[in-house]
Amino acid sequence: MGNLFGKKKQTRVTEHDKAILQLKQQRDKLRQYQKRLNLHLDKERLLAKQLLKEGKKDKALLLLKKKRYQDQLLDKTENQISNLERMVQDLEFAQIERKVIDGLKVGNECLKKMHEVMSVEEVERIMDETQDAIEYQRQIDEMLTGSLSQEDEDAVLAELEAITQADVELPEVPSDELPEAPEARKEKPERERERPRKKAEREVLAV
Amino acid sequence: MSFEWPWQYNFPPFFTLQPNADTRQKQLAAWCSLALSYCRHQKLYTLDVMEAQESPVFNNKKIERKLSMETIQVVFEELRKKGNLEWLDKNKSRCLVMWRRPEEWGKLIYQWVSNNGMTNSVFTLYELSNGDDTEGEEFHCLEEWMLLRSLQALQTQGKAEIITIDDGKGVKFF
Repeated sequence: MGNLFGKKKQTRVTEHDKAILQLKQQRDKLRQYQKRLNLHLDKERLLAKQLLKEGKKDKALLLLKKKRYQDQLLDKTENQISNLERMVQDLEFAQIERKVIDGLKVGNECLKKMHEVMSVEEVERIMDETQDAIEYQRQIDEMLTGSLSQEDEDAVLAELEAITQADVELPEVPSDELPEAPEARKEKPERERERPRKKAEREVLAV
Repeated sequence: MSFEWPWQYNFPPFFTLQPNADTRQKQLAAWCSLALSYCRHQKLYTLDVMEAQESPVFNNKKIERKLSMETIQVVFEELRKKGNLEWLDKNKSRCLVMWRRPEEWGKLIYQWVSNNGMTNSVFTLYELSNGDDTEGEEFHCLEEWMLLRSLQALQTQGKAEIITIDDGKGVKFF
């Protein structure tokens, strides 16, 4: 069980992780140091105030000097922390980049394999064959539609003839006159004549 | 937010262990839940039996009643049976209180980690319990032993792995 566990650990925690952890630990220590300094500074500020109140100016001055030094220390730790954090971020980003590269590599290999399966000659051959097949199909279609079209044409012409024959007799023109719009009255018979012709056309189209 | 005491807390007989087995059972159950919710409210993770006697849970100054040492031991023993408490020494003077089980803590922590998109990264234990990022989370200021246990629980689930480097521990979430 212990052995199994040890193995598992090796696979999942990398050296990078350990490095990051170490950096972070260092940062935590600095943070703690920072906290301590801050607390100290607050205390000293209060003490200096008190000393001033008591009239011990020299001592207060000395204390403030000490405080100033610690302030500088605080700044330095701040810088160090930010350095460490930048390092951690760089490391993490490098890991991400490595993963991206790995992903690209896998994709590239996969693409290569796919290309091996589909060679250019093969594609050309298949495309040629397809083209041939399409040509062949077109020929068959032409042959079939060509033989049919002549008969069709005859039937259509015959039907057209029949319809035009039947429509020679025009419907009666309305006898009563319309009182208004004299121009409209003139146009009306024309339209009446047009209508049967249109009807015939439509029927031809429908066939 | 002040702690809300149950009604029994102001009921004097509650502070004496009842002879009737049935009543006693109920009384102990009430004590257990009171002790746990008090620890939860105060965020207490370790208890000292001597100190416990003086703490307001077991000592109601208003009605001038307090639980005797022996009864506190009985209550603690009951909690231990339920898995909420663990003795730190053989004399049974100090104990760990788990008002939330390690698995539950682990779940909370893991939720926070995945909500913040920080899976697959490394943390120090200090960062988890005292860092600025976890401020306001329930597990902020969690005591280290409790944190470690919840992480161990996560580890058995395969969601995390504890890393030990000579002078400190860290954890990586997956």
